[in-house]
Amino acid sequence: MKPDEVTGEDPQKLAAFEARIDRGEKIEPTDWMPKLYRKQVIRMIEQHAHSEIIGALPEGTWITRAPGFKRKMALMAKVQDEVGHGQLLYSAAETLGKSREQMIDDLINGKSKYSNVFNYPTFTWADCCFISWLVDAGAIVNQLANAKGSYGPYCRALDRICAEESFHLKYGHHCVIYLASGTQKQREMFQEAINRWWPPMMHFFGPSDKISVHTEILMKWKVKMDTNDNMRNQFLDMYVPKIWELGFSIPDPKLKKDPQTGRWQYTEPNWEEFKRVINGDGPCNKERLEVRRIAEERGRWVREALRAPKMEYVTPLA
Amino acid sequence: MGHWHSQFTKAIKKQPYIPLKSLDPRVNRLPAATNSLPKAPLDQFGTFEVFVQAREGKPFQHEGAVHAPNVEMAYVLAKETFTRRFTCVSIYVADTRNVHVSPLTEGMTNAYDNIKEVPSDGNSVSYEIYHLFKRGKQHQHAGTVKASNANEALWLAKGQLKPEKQVFNIWAIRTNDIRFTQPEDLGLWQTLPEKKFRDAAAYKGGDKLKSFLEKQKNNNP
Repeated sequence: MKPDEVTGEDPQKLAAFEARIDRGEKIEPTDWMPKLYRKQVIRMIEQHAHSEIIGALPEGTWITRAPGFKRKMALMAKVQDEVGHGQLLYSAAETLGKSREQMIDDLINGKSKYSNVFNYPTFTWADCCFISWLVDAGAIVNQLANAKGSYGPYCRALDRICAEESFHLKYGHHCVIYLASGTQKQREMFQEAINRWWPPMMHFFGPSDKISVHTEILMKWKVKMDTNDNMRNQFLDMYVPKIWELGFSIPDPKLKKDPQTGRWQYTEPNWEEFKRVINGDGPCNKERLEVRRIAEERGRWVREALRAPKMEYVTPLA
Repeated sequence: MGHWHSQFTKAIKKQPYIPLKSLDPRVNRLPAATNSLPKAPLDQFGTFEVFVQAREGKPFQHEGAVHAPNVEMAYVLAKETFTRRFTCVSIYVADTRNVHVSPLTEGMTNAYDNIKEVPSDGNSVSYEIYHLFKRGKQHQHAGTVKASNANEALWLAKGQLKPEKQVFNIWAIRTNDIRFTQPEDLGLWQTLPEKKFRDAAAYKGGDKLKSFLEKQKNNNP
């Protein structure tokens, strides 16, 4: 059974396309591809790009307040990396024919989504450290899986991104070790950050995948590389022991690893809240988009002054 | 009942979620944008392809694209986007419209098999030629030919630069259309090795973690 979206495609071309993916070869922008593949890969890379740009905001507000010169320098470098990752990802999505301007319009108009976790506020420095260490750790689990996907330009962007993320992860862990081994107050700060951020962190990988024909074909085409539950499990497996090691608790009494299956058990996250926040009703949704709108508005005169009539936007090559 | 997690956080001072006064200084200190939508259409810059040389003697390799209003800004943005930490010897950029691209091939078909003879149509200038050796990888600089147009450059490259290895795709760019690194630009990367704060290696927390864990163990034997 093929989903409806594929029924109109040329069966020979579709077979050649799928054979290429089965051989482990990458799909390049000029190759034939099914419409559904193009649509889904654009959507995925675009959301990832927006997440990098919006994701820089909750940490960005802490640059001026980071404790000490070294932390300020490091956080500035990290935020610059995130914005740079956004640039790489927008270019990769553009190779499939959606212009950068259209993507930015869709973000500002609320049509495109970004990672829901960034709709929550960073009240304290410890919140910022939670993002640097654990949200980035979650992103790495995701990105390492996607780097083995089938779309060439996305994989190449992810290889670069993952190399830089290793700095983010080490830096984030370093910050948390300092809080953990610091004063009672510092420890409390990070414990409170965990309590605030654990629910959005569990939401991070998305709800359990419905086993639909749609999901099946996206996994066959190596657009989606693993199920949301598998990635969440991998994250828990790698990081829960590290959090516990530092003497912190996680606000979920059901959280434990089943020694038989090797899978983590947890309280089912509140997916109603997840949906509500994704659809705009979260603590920071309005603010995040407002910052983008302000940048767009205030930067317009600069772009207008720089525009040269001879220059022309074209799709990047690879 | 509300949020499941609230029952576990009662002990902790509850933080107000909504309404929230912004924590972002850009929102707090500056007046809100007034007239942002709809924004002017086609508010876009041109596209430039970026090539990086990792070490002396290594070929330049295509790394990706940047958007910029002119080639000089493209060069600066390329430096920011692609060489923030891995040291490189040199980079260059070229307007995407000036990159002549052969059809991408597959299987055992060599991209040069599709290149047919093209007669010269005037004065020759130099062209830089790039090869793609594996699908999914990036184009590498192969050499320079003198030709009167891009198609002739590909034909001449077939005679002069075609390697033993299979080539899947060939690019040609007129040398004069490339914005190369000039001697005065080399300072751009001079301070890179000092910027240790960008490297994972600068964040070794292992010793501190170990002494913390030992202290914990001694406190709670």
